[in-house]
Amino acid sequence: MKKYAIEFLKRGMSFCFGGPLVLAIVYGILGLVGAVENFTVGEVVIGIFSSTLLAFIAAGITVIYTIDKLSPFSAALIHGVVLYLDYILLYLFNGWLQSSLKPIMIFTICFVLGYLIIWAIVFVVTRKCTKKLNESLN
Amino acid sequence: MNFQLIIDNENEELITARVKKSSELTDRIETLVKEYVGENKIVAFSEDETVILEIKNIECVTVIDNKVWAITESGKYLIKNRLYEVEKMLTSSFIRINKSSVANISKIKKFISTYSGGVNIEFKSGYTDYISRRCLPQVKRRVLK
Repeated sequence: MKKYAIEFLKRGMSFCFGGPLVLAIVYGILGLVGAVENFTVGEVVIGIFSSTLLAFIAAGITVIYTIDKLSPFSAALIHGVVLYLDYILLYLFNGWLQSSLKPIMIFTICFVLGYLIIWAIVFVVTRKCTKKLNESLN
Repeated sequence: MNFQLIIDNENEELITARVKKSSELTDRIETLVKEYVGENKIVAFSEDETVILEIKNIECVTVIDNKVWAITESGKYLIKNRLYEVEKMLTSSFIRINKSSVANISKIKKFISTYSGGVNIEFKSGYTDYISRRCLPQVKRRVLK
């Protein structure tokens, strides 16, 4: 378990810079299209720290796929739940998502749909691979 | 491909095959050499008797409850060695499929994709085991070569 915790920290530390980078791009686009004209210092500081934390968790949790004991389904499920909580909590904290039922539902549906599409792609690819392997056996 | 026989009384005997990639032929040569020098067998135990298993008859060697078992079409037998020790005795037709199992490629009946996105192996005896994500690329390379 300690091994995976260390790996979680390593992965998180390696890619957490991506959060503020994405945030800067989003802020830049919002500024360009005129959706937002100015931010307070507090908003920017909280945005940078929270997006760093968001990217840290999102990168770190990929360690779940290296745990051999977990089936791909369990690993994907844990990964999905952690990512969902990571995004929704930090979006709500920053006010990027309105704290009411409708926006949360829309976000949840988009997230689940996205995850299902990825899952379906993985399943199709695996089935294709299995078919190829079986053909080689014959 | 040519065959070359070198009679040399001075050096230690060695069978070498120089090929572009391993194949059924190289596997058969390896098995033949091991049979000739008597390294093609492994001592195992069933409930109350000791049995000598021919390596080529083993489908899979796996760890269950911290014990190493050889799975064959006639049943499963306990081996009193560690998995890594057994792995060294096996021929090149065996490949690691997960942290606890080594499979004999020539004894695979089919590969089965699971709804969880994984791949399982069914052996000729009906025994099944899973291929870990980490071992899958290596298994694919070996089987698809």
